This record gives sequence, C-alpha cells and structure tokens, in this order.
Amino acid sequence: MRGFFLVLKAEIVRSWIITRRYWFRTLTGIIVGYGMLMALIIGFMSRGGMDAVAPADAPPTTVVTEQAAPPPGVPGGLVSDPTKATRYVLGFIIGLFAFGIVGLFTQGLQGMAQMGVLEQLCLSPHGLVTNFLARSVVGGVNTIFSSGIMLWLITWTLRGTLYWDWVAAPVLLALTFINLLGFGFMVGGLVLVFKQTGQLAIIVRLVLFGLALFAEEGLLHGHWLMTAFLHMLPVTDAAICLKYVFIQGQGVATGGPVTSVFAFEAPYCFYFLILNCVVWTGLGIVCFKVMENHSRHKGTLGAY
Amino acid sequence: MSAQPLVELDHVAKTFYTRHFLHLDEETRRRRLYARRTVHAARDISFTIQPGEVFGLLGPNGAGKTTAVKMISGLVRPDGGAVYVDGLDVERRRRQVLRQIGVVLEGTRTSIWPLTPLENLAYYGNLKDVRGAELKDRSHRLLDFIGLRDKKNVQVRRLSRGEKQKLAICIALIADPRIILLDEPTTGLDVQSSRAIKDRILEMTRELGKCVLVTTHDMAVAQELCDRIGIINKGELVTCRPTAELLDLFSEQIFAFKLDRAPAAAEFQDMPGVIAVEAENGEEGPALALTVVREAAGRSEALYEVIARLRRGGYQLRSINQRQQTLENVFLQLTTDLRESPAPSGRETK
Repeated sequence: MRGFFLVLKAEIVRSWIITRRYWFRTLTGIIVGYGMLMALIIGFMSRGGMDAVAPADAPPTTVVTEQAAPPPGVPGGLVSDPTKATRYVLGFIIGLFAFGIVGLFTQGLQGMAQMGVLEQLCLSPHGLVTNFLARSVVGGVNTIFSSGIMLWLITWTLRGTLYWDWVAAPVLLALTFINLLGFGFMVGGLVLVFKQTGQLAIIVRLVLFGLALFAEEGLLHGHWLMTAFLHMLPVTDAAICLKYVFIQGQGVATGGPVTSVFAFEAPYCFYFLILNCVVWTGLGIVCFKVMENHSRHKGTLGAY
Repeated sequence: MSAQPLVELDHVAKTFYTRHFLHLDEETRRRRLYARRTVHAARDISFTIQPGEVFGLLGPNGAGKTTAVKMISGLVRPDGGAVYVDGLDVERRRRQVLRQIGVVLEGTRTSIWPLTPLENLAYYGNLKDVRGAELKDRSHRLLDFIGLRDKKNVQVRRLSRGEKQKLAICIALIADPRIILLDEPTTGLDVQSSRAIKDRILEMTRELGKCVLVTTHDMAVAQELCDRIGIINKGELVTCRPTAELLDLFSEQIFAFKLDRAPAAAEFQDMPGVIAVEAENGEEGPALALTVVREAAGRSEALYEVIARLRRGGYQLRSINQRQQTLENVFLQLTTDLRESPAPSGRETK
C-alpha cells in the first residue's frame, strides 16, 4: 500500500508539472470540448426550431424533479427542455470519461510502449498493476475535474439544472471509476500481449461512449437477454445512476415522489453497479496479471 | 573477487516463435501466406558477473544480447534454466531483484520528454522507492557525476541524444543499484559523448564498486571497458574469457617475418607446426606471414625451422613481429570461422 502511495505521489507531481507547463493545451482542451458540445446542442436546437431557445431574460434555473412533457404544439427541441439537454450533455461527458479511462489502458499503453516508458514501469519494484492503478487514478481525477468544469459551463449556458448530493455523487463517481478501471485493466491486459487490439479497443470505447450517452431506464425494459447484456457492460448502470442523481436529484434524501438512487427497487441499477465493480475489477486485475506474465513469456512486455 | 557472483545465468534457454509473410510471388502476397520461424535467443547460456566487474556481451544483430539483459531484469522469462541476481532467483523474487538492478534499454527513450532531468529523476526515484532528502541529494549528485548539471532544468526534449543517454544512466542509478545493465550505451553517439559515458562506466565500477553488464557492437568500447567478454552468436555463448585472454586467443599464432625481398610461400608450406603461409608485399616491404600451431613446443620448433630455411634461402631477416589481434578480428573469427566447428570454450573461464 505504501508503494502505491509513493507511485501515486510521483504520478500526481508528473501530471501537475505537465498540466502547469502545458496549461494552454489544457485550457484549449476544455474550450474545444465546450465548443464541440455546444455545437451539438445547437444542432439539436436547429432540428427543434428557433422557439426552442430559452429567452435571454429567463428566470434563473429552478430545481426540476419530474420531467414535464412538452405542451401540445411545442416542438420537442432539446433546449426547449433544458433537463433533457442537460441529460444528453451529462451522458456525453460520462461517455467521454469512459472513453478516456479505457483509453489510458489501450492507446495510453501503446503510447508508453512506443516511448519506452513502459519498460521502465515494468522495471519498477512496485509492479505494473500498482503503477497503472496510480496512473489511472491521477488520469481519472484529472478527467473528472476538466469534465466537471465543462459540464458546469454547458449547464449554465443552457440554463439547465444540475443536482449535487455530497454522498450519492462522490459514491457514484467512485464506483463508476472503479468499474471502468476494472474493465480498462482487462482490455489493457489484452493490449499488453496483442498490441494490435489497441485499434480494436477504439470500437469498444465508442460503444461505451454511445451507451453512456443514451443510457436510461427505458433501455432496460427490453428482452431479458439484452437487459442482462446491458447490465453487464460497465457504463450502463453507472450512467443511469449518475443521471438519476445529477439530473433528477435522486440523492440520499429526496422529497416527494422521487426515490433515492440507493433504494432497493427495480431496475436495481445501483446494486448492479456494485456487482459490476466487484466483477470487473477482480476480472480485470486477474486478466492483467495473467497477460503480463504471458507477455513476459513472449518477450513483448514493454515493447511495441 | 568474491565467491558469490552478483549475476548468474545457469543454463538459460529462450526460444521465440515469430511469423513472417512469405511474399514469394503474387499468390503468396495476395493470400498473405506466412511462415513460422523459430528464433533461439538463448541456448544453454551460462556465465557469471562478479562485483566490481565490467562484463561485455558481444554479438551480431539478433544474437540474443538484449534478450539476455531482459532475462536478467525479469522482462523476459526464460524457457529453461535460471537467472540469479545476488543469489536471488529472478523468477521467484522479482521485486527484490528489481531493487538491485538499474537497466538502460534504448536509453534515449527511457525518460519523459516534457519533464526536466531533475523532474525525471524525482519521478523515477519515487517509482523505485527513493524519496525525500535522499532523492534530492542523489539526483543532484548523479547529474553532477554524469555531467548534466547545467541541463538539469532543461526539458528532456531539448537535450541531445548523448545527453538523453546520460540521463538514462542517471535514471538507472537513482536507486543506487549494485548491478547496472547497459544495452548498447554508446550506439549512435558522437566521440565526446561516447568517451564521457565510457569514463562514467569505468568510474562506476572502479570507484563505486558496481557490477556492469554492457552489450555493444562497438569493439573498441568492449576492448576498453570490459574486464571479461562473452561472445554470443545465434543464442549460443561462443566464448567467455577475460578480455586480455581473448585477445591472446589468436594473436600468438601469427608471426610476420620482414625480409629484404619477396619470399616464395611454397617453400614454407610443408613445414611441421605451420598452419598457413602468406607472402605479403605491403607498404612496409616484403614479409612472410606464418600462422603456427598454438602449442608452445611445436610453435618454437616451427619458428626456428623457418629462420633456418630463410638463412639457407639467402633471405635477409629484418624483423620478426607477433601480430597483435584486435577484438574485432577475434570477434569475426569466433562468430564466423568457429561457428561451424566446436567453440574454443563454450563455457566461461575465469
């Protein structure tokens, strides 16, 4: 454990230095992300009609706990319904988060192998798993911060509403992160041995991205096989739960007809999320270790 | 030298299986047919490295030098045999072993380019369990030692190839390892950088008591640095001897007799103890180059007989020289001529 914190410290310092040294790149990343998402929303807006745009002197955002259906005659544009727009933005950002975390283990690993840094990590007495864990924790926290800023900016622009629950939000973010970490370890293990799977992993990352974007409870009401498959994927339950909390305010304490995200009732997303965490993390780390050993046997560890 | 070697390879074997596309004709190209190839990177290799010793591993491309380094550092697992570092089995006690070794593999790629040398050392120091004041102090000392004091706050991407290589050596030394493995440390460097790195390697062993394994193509580097040299070819250790002994391996066989006129080589062909005769007429005048048997008595007899024949033939003998071998010649002879025949010593001699 001490080793993990030492490596974590090294990673935090490295990441901080790079962020500080390349602050312009970090800033432009957020601006480009913001611009891209806004362009997407404007695209939806133009589909919904100009009347979808909220008036400039509209009152400050109010807490909405139930999604109201648009009145008859009003186009179903996204910005006519800020809650819906915010839901998509949140989905988009969760998708980016999933895309980024799994990417740390795929393209990130390939890049490190090409740069020769991976060999040095393999030569660290703390082991590759500890090194990667620390690296992804730092990468994950970075992504959460930059995504958080972006999400807040967009929600503010759209005059949408975001809820924050001091218990539910951190717990769900942590579980989502652990879940993705486990999945990332599994994919990363494959990339250690079969370097070319890194390219295929882009498809997997895009699937996760799409799923996070469109995940909602309705998806889980289809055929049982499809439902089981969706529950198995690491972002479905995480995205649904995060949307419950951030968009609908279903935190620990809720009032009225809205139930807490932790309530033990169908579709049990929170509990599937915990189960997923345990399974993916266990499976991921075991797979990574097995593949690391196999890679050493093949002589490809640290090489690209 | 102590009885306990710091590094020991005990009958190590490693085979890789690779695929390569045939591309023989249009058909094989179109169908992307490939052949499976077996590459023996190590065949029953055994050698040891003692504390304070610089051991050189020489061999042509693809001979298995880097694989040997990677097996010692635990990056590649051997198929057979065992590798011990300070008595610890690398396979079973990898973590403890990694605390004792510093490795430079393709040195210019080791460091993180957006960081400065000082920041790189801080990062890799933490990764190797060095921290606090000790880390700071050691980083500065190493940068001074290697000659990067002026560049300690310059981003690595702005450093020259030689400076990156020096930094890689510092990174390998940050945890103060007892064993340093350097894979081609001077390849692609200019004369000054190469000289500086060679000097630092010698200092590390002579003054700091480290044990160093160097793989290189550069015979001059090996000849200058190494106390002992192992020559590896197609995964086989062709020989493993002290450098001086290796250089003597062939030098005692060749003698050049400088004469007043060109000799007739045929006159000396049938002499006992003479293996080969060559008449030379170079810039230094005519000479007779004789390759004689290595066995002392037979060699002396042959030399006396040659001198007697030269006198009888009316030749005026100006000088007799024993030809000094270069490591390059020895290397070429061992990896080409002796490849087909049994090696002079497949096992190491101390």
